[in-house]
Amino acid sequence: MREELLKSFVDMDEQEAVRIARELVESDGGAVAVLETCKEAMEEVGRLFEAGEYFLSELIAAGDMFNQIMEFTLPKLQGDEVASIGTMVLGTVQGDVHNIGKDIFKVMAEASGINVIDIGIDVPHEKFVEAIKEHKPELVGMCCLITLGVDSMKRTIEVIKEAGLRDDIKIIIGGGRVSQAVMEHVGADAWADDAARGVRLSKELLGKE
Amino acid sequence: MAVDAKQLAAERAARLKAAVELKEPDRVPFTGIGGDVIAAYAGITSYEFNFDYEKQCQAIIKYVKDFPSDQPVIGMTGLGNHVASMAFSDYPDLYPIISRVDGPTNDILGVDYCRFPGRELDENSSPQFIGREYMSAEEYDELIADPVKFCFEKILPRIVRAFRDMKAPEAHAAMARLALEKAKAGAAMRDMFRQLQELGYAPGGLSVFFAPLDFIGDQLRDIPNLIKDLRRYPDKVKAATEAVLEPLLKVSVNAKGPGVETAMIPLHLNEYLSPALYNEFYWPTLKEGILRLAELGMKSQVFFEGRHDAHLETILELPAGWGTAYFEKTDVRKAKKLLQGHTCIMGGIDVGMVISSTPAKLDEYIKEILGEMMPGGGFILAPNIGNLPRETPIENIRAVYEAVEKYGKY
Amino acid sequence: MVSPEMQKLAQERAARMQAAIELKEPDRVPFTGLGGDIVAAYAGITAYEFEFDFEKNRQAAIKWLKDFPADSPVGGIGGLDNLAMSVAFVDFPDLANQFFMVNGPMNDVLNMKFARFPGRQLDEYSSRQFIGGKNMEPEEYDELIADPVKFSYEKILPRIAGNLADLGSPTSLATMARLGMVKAQQAAEMRKTGAALAELGYPTGGGSTFAFAPLDYIGDHLRDLPNLVLDIRRYPDKVKAAAEAILEVLVKWTLQGKAAGAVQAGFPLHLNEYLSPKLYREFYWPTLKEYILRLREEGMRSRLFCEGWHDAHLDTFLELPAGWGIAAFEKTDVRKAKKVLAGHTCISGGIDVGVVISGTPAEIDEYIKRLLGDMMPGGGFILGPNVGNLPRNTPIENVAAVYEAVEKYGKY
Ligand code: B12
Repeated sequence: MREELLKSFVDMDEQEAVRIARELVESDGGAVAVLETCKEAMEEVGRLFEAGEYFLSELIAAGDMFNQIMEFTLPKLQGDEVASIGTMVLGTVQGDVHNIGKDIFKVMAEASGINVIDIGIDVPHEKFVEAIKEHKPELVGMCCLITLGVDSMKRTIEVIKEAGLRDDIKIIIGGGRVSQAVMEHVGADAWADDAARGVRLSKELLGKE
Repeated sequence: MAVDAKQLAAERAARLKAAVELKEPDRVPFTGIGGDVIAAYAGITSYEFNFDYEKQCQAIIKYVKDFPSDQPVIGMTGLGNHVASMAFSDYPDLYPIISRVDGPTNDILGVDYCRFPGRELDENSSPQFIGREYMSAEEYDELIADPVKFCFEKILPRIVRAFRDMKAPEAHAAMARLALEKAKAGAAMRDMFRQLQELGYAPGGLSVFFAPLDFIGDQLRDIPNLIKDLRRYPDKVKAATEAVLEPLLKVSVNAKGPGVETAMIPLHLNEYLSPALYNEFYWPTLKEGILRLAELGMKSQVFFEGRHDAHLETILELPAGWGTAYFEKTDVRKAKKLLQGHTCIMGGIDVGMVISSTPAKLDEYIKEILGEMMPGGGFILAPNIGNLPRETPIENIRAVYEAVEKYGKY
Repeated sequence: MVSPEMQKLAQERAARMQAAIELKEPDRVPFTGLGGDIVAAYAGITAYEFEFDFEKNRQAAIKWLKDFPADSPVGGIGGLDNLAMSVAFVDFPDLANQFFMVNGPMNDVLNMKFARFPGRQLDEYSSRQFIGGKNMEPEEYDELIADPVKFSYEKILPRIAGNLADLGSPTSLATMARLGMVKAQQAAEMRKTGAALAELGYPTGGGSTFAFAPLDYIGDHLRDLPNLVLDIRRYPDKVKAAAEAILEVLVKWTLQGKAAGAVQAGFPLHLNEYLSPKLYREFYWPTLKEYILRLREEGMRSRLFCEGWHDAHLDTFLELPAGWGIAAFEKTDVRKAKKVLAGHTCISGGIDVGVVISGTPAEIDEYIKRLLGDMMPGGGFILGPNVGNLPRNTPIENVAAVYEAVEKYGKY
């Protein structure tokens, strides 16, 4: 059944995947199996995306399936069964309201075991600082799709530094406007303009890969 | 505006003001006479006058240049859309675009009571208001409860073709088109007012107000029905006049442009009513309207259409210096006897004479009127009705202006 | 009166563009120029002033164009796409196009839910924002299919325009009148701006109007992009039928722009990047292609701005007749596009705005030199930025470096 779930998920057969997951989750130890299979499937989808076989629509569809399945799976799991590999505060920076890419990255990061605290879009610099203080994450993710947002990221990182929090965290940036040059310009630690790579790098920053 | 134009404008305004304040100015203030003849004088059809802004403005300027008076003679540029003014009375910025229907805007709206030259009428006719019954007697309660809402929801869709279904895209498109069209007219108008200023006329205009019972008679029930209603549902009619008073005043405020100090009040039902009915149904809310307009900073200029002889005395209930009584058929001499020192009187030139008489007779006629009406001041010379037809002999018009020049000095 | 010199300049500029579109080599590489928020900053005014004060906007644009002349003008009052309103009023050809771009003063009247403007919902220095949103439920596809115009008018308009929320109310009618008043004022301003541009030697007339891939109407204005992407899998037949129904309406609308003098239709593509070639070909491309061909039959040319990555779909252009129009690219490398499309499709773009923002003048000189060296030979290329907006704090010496490099290396 795990095989079938994996296959239908990766093949984007939403109805079938959800049906199998519902069935599986009721069996003994099923919830853990569903969780792991879905993570594996998300990873595979990410791989296919990086290979150019899958496109954004598949990422979105996969994310949606993942969320649907988790909705009935997570309540069935014990606390220690969902242990995360680390926490990330994630937001689209001030002045930028694009959220699709961030949301895709978020599900994939969650699927890989990162506990993501999503603080939304058009996030003011101070709100990043507050969230870091509150959630004490290992990682901060910033998303930026418009040129204007580049400056915003730079400023946010400065504000984090001023608050004395920069050394406690690693910062990864993503979205359509990021590059090696932008990463250096704003003073981040890693960059990715696709979600799969972003998840890989995040895990590396957490020392989990 | 050149200095002499400015000075001329100031003199003209002072002249009119002095008369309203019941004083003797330097000369008798004269409103001028015009109407459809303005288009004819410019050699254009009424259709052109009503549909072509530029030609209209040129015609007016030509006429005003050749026939200067204390007020520019504009003629008839469209018909009032009073139900719309009331329906949108809470939107003062819309007043300039919804309050009047002219040729092009009627093409957009399709107003049931409007007839325009070159459309429903011959191309040399003047625009016509042909009202009908737009409200049934059963609807008085609704009108009384909320006249603005009632006019908006019930009457506008019956009157304006484009508003038949207020929710429809047609209605919404019509509003946008109306504004776009009025902007075109506005450009031509601004140009005209600039030229008028150069000719020594101060910018300004008139606000409007209606006797509440006239609003019901003209716009909603149609006069014959209303007359019957007075006997059948007297309490409802009375309550309705009281209900429409406030929104009508709101419209007057909306219509009051910068510098406007006068509200024109054309009366219609007055002539139809016995003093008993007049005093019970018509006069109370009209009187209150006049008093309220004064509080709002406007003097009234009441145009007593038809014969007002039977109701003249009621004018004395208003405080002296309240405004101007403009007469059509009532003899201004008779009015003067009663109102001198209390009310400024306006009118005096029988348009029928101007149309059919000769220059020599007109000279004599004006001389006589002025001789009787000028002494003591408080008089504005004006035609008894606003519209001189296209065929009016120009030499007769000229004779009037020349006579005013000759005999109008105090 | 426009001087003969400037008239000549305008002709040269127009001819340069035209030659590239016809896949020929002009005298110089046509260059669309750079612009965006920087135009206001350069004139020392806020984004708010630029968006709301037409006189200041015009002066800013003139100053920019005097110092940074290109083959087509940039600047001017822009706005946010309000396609649902144009669709809703498509049966009123004198109005539909006027409602399409919501600018600051128009939004003060309409209060669109998708819009945010500097000095209003945003601070004075921000650029205006289209924030989108979901305005339609999947259950409503049938209604959309049955009558896209009626549906857009009755259902969508009240949901997206705060002041048209209650159609048929005094407020909604008053809003339309106020919109008309604003548009009338703006038309007068536009004429002034047009005259000012003519004096700077920019072609008048023969302008551009808008067009949208039918699926983008659904994604941008009705369902919101991620939902549409899911709909494609869940309700494929409905999505397809909707695209077809919308096509008819949009073609009609774009042709209204033609009737007003436009010779070109600009399509900003949004969903392209999201779709695999399979989905692109099945759902997106058929109606887009037909749109382009229908406009072509009517004598209009199309310009497709392929936002994001378009690499996977490049070969679909080859289904169109050679010389059909312009393909402009954002992230897709124009060199790669040239390999596929040379001799068939005019290519536009090339300047990565990121380089202009963060590079040095020397790097930029080198960058443009290489770009033109690769792209100019054979013609059929229009140089332009990959996205329209240079932010306020873009170093001006970098902007100047671009223009100087184009001057230096742009001659055929
Ligand atoms: C959809 C879209 C919109 C939608 C957004 C809907 C939404 N809810 O997000 C709407 C219509 C609302 C919109 C609005 C605007 N947009 Co827009 N929009 C796009 C479009 C077409 C696609 C963007 C997108 O979703 N891409 C797909 C996602 C999945 O890609 P992504 O974000 O890069 O994410 C991937 C990775 O980067 C990564 N990732 C994402 N986040 C993160 C975070 C981390 C930490 C990591 C590691 C990885 C990661 O994972 C994702 C999956 O691989 C692009 C053009 C294009 N094709 O790129 C323009 C574009 C981004 N928009 C643009 C503009 C200008 C605007 C507006 C300013 C327009 C306007 N004048 O109003 C407004 C934005 C206002 C604002 N201030 O933000 C420009 C930006 C130009 C520029 N350089 O500044 C673009 C490039 C279009 C263009 N060519 O002009 N837009």
